[in-house]
Amino acid sequence: MAQAVPARVPLLDRPRRAARRRDRWVDLGLLLPGVGFLGLFLVVPLAQVFLRSVGLAVIGQAGRFTWDYYRQFWAEAQYRDGFFFSLWLGVASTVLSLGIALVFSALMQVRFPGRLLISVLYKIPLVVPSLVAAFLILSLIAPGGILARLVFHWGWSWPQLVYDRWGWGIILVQVWHNVPFMMVIISAVMAGIPQDVIDAARNLGAPPWEVFRRVTVPLSMSGISAAALLVFIQVFGAFAVPSLLESAYPLALPVIMQTEMMDRANWALASALGSVLTIASGIVLVLYYRLVPGRGAVVR
Amino acid sequence: MTRAWLFPTRSFPWLLTALFFGLALIGLTVPLIVGVLWSLVNPHAGWFPPSLVPPSLSLDNWRAMFSVPEMGDAVVASLTIAPIVTVLCGALALPTGYALGRREVPFRRAIEFLVLAPIIMPGIVIATGLGSMFIRLGLEHTLAGVILVQTVVVLPFMIRIMTATFEAVPQDLIDAARNLGAGPLSLTGRVLIPLVAPGLFAGGVFTFIGSMEEFVLTFIVGSPDIRTLPVLLFAYLGGRSQIFTYAAVVTIVLLAPTILLLFLAERALKQEYLAAGLGKM
Repeated sequence: MAQAVPARVPLLDRPRRAARRRDRWVDLGLLLPGVGFLGLFLVVPLAQVFLRSVGLAVIGQAGRFTWDYYRQFWAEAQYRDGFFFSLWLGVASTVLSLGIALVFSALMQVRFPGRLLISVLYKIPLVVPSLVAAFLILSLIAPGGILARLVFHWGWSWPQLVYDRWGWGIILVQVWHNVPFMMVIISAVMAGIPQDVIDAARNLGAPPWEVFRRVTVPLSMSGISAAALLVFIQVFGAFAVPSLLESAYPLALPVIMQTEMMDRANWALASALGSVLTIASGIVLVLYYRLVPGRGAVVR
Repeated sequence: MTRAWLFPTRSFPWLLTALFFGLALIGLTVPLIVGVLWSLVNPHAGWFPPSLVPPSLSLDNWRAMFSVPEMGDAVVASLTIAPIVTVLCGALALPTGYALGRREVPFRRAIEFLVLAPIIMPGIVIATGLGSMFIRLGLEHTLAGVILVQTVVVLPFMIRIMTATFEAVPQDLIDAARNLGAGPLSLTGRVLIPLVAPGLFAGGVFTFIGSMEEFVLTFIVGSPDIRTLPVLLFAYLGGRSQIFTYAAVVTIVLLAPTILLLFLAERALKQEYLAAGLGKM
């Protein structure tokens, strides 16, 4: 019964291992500028946000673990309502933008006169800052806006679209801003659908609307889900547009956070609200990764 | 690419033309014209409802650009911060993009997630963390603080674009340069950098626009001492009294360079860079 002799490390492997170790150092040196910066100025502050939300690492006072700030969020109506108002803005903007972007993306697949110009023009809102978008839409739909003046000349009255309870002005700005963003993602996916599949559906007698509903949309699902995810998270956490166009109550959660930070210096509560915002966005992100399996996930 | 499967009737394409150009008229052209008109309103005559056009025009609001200190300061602040942020991002993203694009780095998935995080996280949450951190470091209300926070949110775009660009460099070219005796330095300076220059340019455009337009973090970390153009626009649009005339001037100052850059860089900003910037598509 011969004892198994442990295989000796061949001499050749040693320099290779040294080279691998050196490679690791090179990797580290190359990654350090970008990843180190984000680690220092993103991971550290975010960790502090979570610590502060449970009463630790608060500026200027001894830390003590507590759930009080989360309790306060749920107990006081203004914070709870702020959360649901932001949620409403996110869901409504996403659903509306998605519906419009889907139809427009499908129509953009058709060849029509002036299509090239439109394909450049529709991307302009992509580079427009959201504050500028708010100003442009405001000058259009505000009580003294150009549309209100126009319908006044015809003797009609203009509906209250800004500073309203349901934030329709905010939703309108977000739709204006995000339909082009969604169209970029969705039309790229739609352009990749093989013509054969659509021809087959047409030959089998499907009317155009059926082709759109039962072939084009299901096959564009990877783009649709990614676009919806990104738009929802962005609108849910938006500060500038709600801050300018919302009514006095309810305030969107990010607006409440800003007031707590800058006017009341209540960083602990702001951190708890921020954590709630992050966790809610995180849940949506996890759902996305669950529902869209590995390879299909467009956001990576 | 283009297909006529949806509605096969002959007049349908013209209907689409009418639809899209109509929308572009209402959604883009009219608001832009109204914005320009607001910037030209004569402040002594005003522009009150229900008149559809201003009663008299003047360049007074544009002159305010030089006579009202806050506006001039905002222009200077924006044009100081954006180039610095762009250069800083380029310097930080070049080595990291190379490592992610061409080397087998450990913890790749975690690093990619870290780079994606600032793109999809709400800016206000990042601002909450950085705001209090910078108060401790004494960086609040300083130019350096604003530059650092803006870099946090635009750097990921630059890293993603550089990663995609380095990935696309053919290995043959690098091998050929090595075989011809290029050392690491001349390989980087004379082969790699020229090859990734278009991506670097596209990333620079993205970063510059991103820095010019960044609002939430600049507002929370910088104001009231450091006010960039978006922060000023926010002040003119919010608050007790809206100053639409000045808001219009700031809007145009903010919008003109970005739209110009978009058209100039249309070729450089190909789908693949847009894709790398906005999430893989």
